[in-house]
Amino acid sequence: MNYPLWDVPFIGGGWVIGMTAIFHVLISQFAVGGGFYIAMAEQKALREGRKDWMDIVKKQSRFFLVLTAVFGTVSGVGIWFAIGLANPEATSTLIHNFVFGWAIEWVIFLVELATVLVYYYTWGRIADKLHLTVGWLYAIVSFFTLFIINGILSFKLTPGAAWLSVAGTGHEASMFWPAFFNPGYWPSLFIRMGICCTLAGAWSLVTCSRIGNDQLKLKTDMIGWTMKWLLPLFCTLPFLALWYWHQVPEAHRILASLGVNTVAPGIFTMVTRMIIVLLVSSVTLISVVYFFALRSPADFKLPQAVVIMFLALVVVGSMEYTREMLRKPFIVAEHMYSNGVRVKDIEKINKDGYLTHTLWIRDGSKTSVARGEAMYRGQCMACHTVDGYRPTRTLLAGRDRAAITNFLKVLRDHKPDSPYFRFMPPLVGTDEEVQALGDYLDTLTPKPAQP
Amino acid sequence: MKNMMEDLWKWCDERLDLSAMVAFAKHKTVPEHKHSFWYFWGGISLFLFMVQMITGILLLIYYRPGPDAFDSVRQITYDVNFGWLIRSVHAWAANLMIAAIVVHMFSVFFMKAYRSPREFGWWSGALLLMIASVFGFSGYLLPMNELSYFATKVGLDIPTGMPIIGPILSDIVRAGPEVTEFTLERFFALHVVVLPLIFLPILMIHLWLVAKHGNAVPPSEELKPAAERKSIPFFPNFMMKDLGVWLITLNILILFAAVFPWDLGVQADALKAAPKGIHPEWYFMVPFQLLKAFGNWFPGSLGEGMGIGIFTGGIILWLLVPLYDPNSRSGLRARNATYFGLLALAAVVGLTIWGYLAL
Repeated sequence: MNYPLWDVPFIGGGWVIGMTAIFHVLISQFAVGGGFYIAMAEQKALREGRKDWMDIVKKQSRFFLVLTAVFGTVSGVGIWFAIGLANPEATSTLIHNFVFGWAIEWVIFLVELATVLVYYYTWGRIADKLHLTVGWLYAIVSFFTLFIINGILSFKLTPGAAWLSVAGTGHEASMFWPAFFNPGYWPSLFIRMGICCTLAGAWSLVTCSRIGNDQLKLKTDMIGWTMKWLLPLFCTLPFLALWYWHQVPEAHRILASLGVNTVAPGIFTMVTRMIIVLLVSSVTLISVVYFFALRSPADFKLPQAVVIMFLALVVVGSMEYTREMLRKPFIVAEHMYSNGVRVKDIEKINKDGYLTHTLWIRDGSKTSVARGEAMYRGQCMACHTVDGYRPTRTLLAGRDRAAITNFLKVLRDHKPDSPYFRFMPPLVGTDEEVQALGDYLDTLTPKPAQP
Repeated sequence: MKNMMEDLWKWCDERLDLSAMVAFAKHKTVPEHKHSFWYFWGGISLFLFMVQMITGILLLIYYRPGPDAFDSVRQITYDVNFGWLIRSVHAWAANLMIAAIVVHMFSVFFMKAYRSPREFGWWSGALLLMIASVFGFSGYLLPMNELSYFATKVGLDIPTGMPIIGPILSDIVRAGPEVTEFTLERFFALHVVVLPLIFLPILMIHLWLVAKHGNAVPPSEELKPAAERKSIPFFPNFMMKDLGVWLITLNILILFAAVFPWDLGVQADALKAAPKGIHPEWYFMVPFQLLKAFGNWFPGSLGEGMGIGIFTGGIILWLLVPLYDPNSRSGLRARNATYFGLLALAAVVGLTIWGYLAL
């Protein structure tokens, strides 16, 4: 336990990352797809001499600039703050391994922001061809932001045997390229490219819905053209998903089947349930665009466009959530558990203690409950809160001290037949520390009234 | 291939007169104005009813009424592949369907779509809502868990307050003085045979009336000259939109059913004390809270009688609205009907919230 834990009451640190990340992903992936959309739309308008179309593209580029350069940037920095505070161990591992990858990513961000600003502010001020070149430059640069970050994101679920063979030896950076182009890299990149196009289409439909019916031909043409941006993902997703699935380690693939014949509240069957949501919402999204926009462009207004955005949010949200849940109980598969404990350190921690070198025991007290609370903060609060999301108090309700001891034994033994095996990291620490954790958890459970 | 399809169409058309149906659908129009959104709610209710029929039939495959009822629902939830999903969709769709019918009913009321010649549309719709709530009440008991058992017990005690027929009625429905597995068998028969047999013909009549009279326009639209009123063809324009809305409804339904799967609860035990704060489903909260409040203010049968009387009176007034606001466009009667609608809406929302707060 090298770092203090950032306690976010009720929702927990995980959801701060989750909410910031979903918001950011919706914008950043739109930025990539939107870059190509704007460049191709401008090219089409120039080629066909459509001034009316060009006026809309100009408006779109303004919306695009505000959304990506303001909200995208702010939420991107927000993710850095959130992951650094909520999961410092994992963030540290990623930085140590991919520091140059990130450095390049930031340089590219800078170019991306510069090009989008030049693109927007030079409408009508430079030659059309040069302006279009700036647009294409932006699109290509923004694609490279995805190309790089995808290596780091996909690494967490599929780090690959080569990197795992040196993990924890101090020579991890020697496997930078195998870790970057990890087994999940390419299918993940293609799926994300499809999502980028879909989001470009969905966001652009919002702009299309604002075109008045006095320009019905333009509206119809633009909706028809924009609809095509949703097709690549819809047509290829089944094949790409199978390819991706094939790269996911067997132990994680099992998570998807846990909710087939049974259901449990909470996360135990969540992967299956999220896949169902993903399937239904993908089909709904494409169908609703067809029924609402393509079939009746004259009646396509902002509320319908907002519904399409909501559906796109459900598709992207459920896809990202499924990917995150598939990694359970790890944050870096087979290497680091979701609470920051490394697999190779377990034996040592069990012998020497989890709290041995920590500075983060509240009030400097050495009582068992205080030590137990430090254990709870270090090993449980990455995923649980006391009273809010995945609430410890509710989950432990009805357990007396002996039942808590038994429960902690199940978590510590971490046997493959344990119901918690696939979702929760093993409990680590000395006997005294586990006892202390039990003492602390006992203070959270309501006691029967004294006669 | 194209010729084959054309031949097939021709073959069917000669026998079924499909062209006439298509011509009818193309001829039909749906008004287009700023309140058009409310036209979708009847369709949403219909779609959810179809979901109920399909998922209900699937649940029938494993459900066993009688002493095994709880165990069979446990089996559906925890053993059968995607049984939990079908059950969860059935339970969520039941609630969403009643909510959709209520929204549909209030939108019809405020658009004054009950006026001549649509009175029977209004009455048949109201009847469908009543039957839907009995569907809900009877279906709620079927898992025979603790909550459903005690909620049904409380619900069936309410009619006993009615003089003479009350206790007899309760005994008939309960199959005796207590809620037992025989009550369950009766509820099962009601839920899967009797109610669908009554519901489906009324639904057909309701849909036929909608097709016959078309969509009503609200008074604000009626005031516009005919040339300024807009409309779109039912087929394919409105139907395409309707299908889109159905898909969105399905998506929302699946989102609820998958993210918040319906809980199985614990097996009912008649010997145990009722859990604290036992209450009926949200759509019965209005009469429940009304009876409770009057029962508190005027203890004994007086309070209960007053509660039942006010509720029944309100329903009768609600049903008779086409008769006292027949076709006026802006007169005193029309205004009074609108005020009554607002009062009813406030009462429904207020009593439901109050009911939950008072648990």
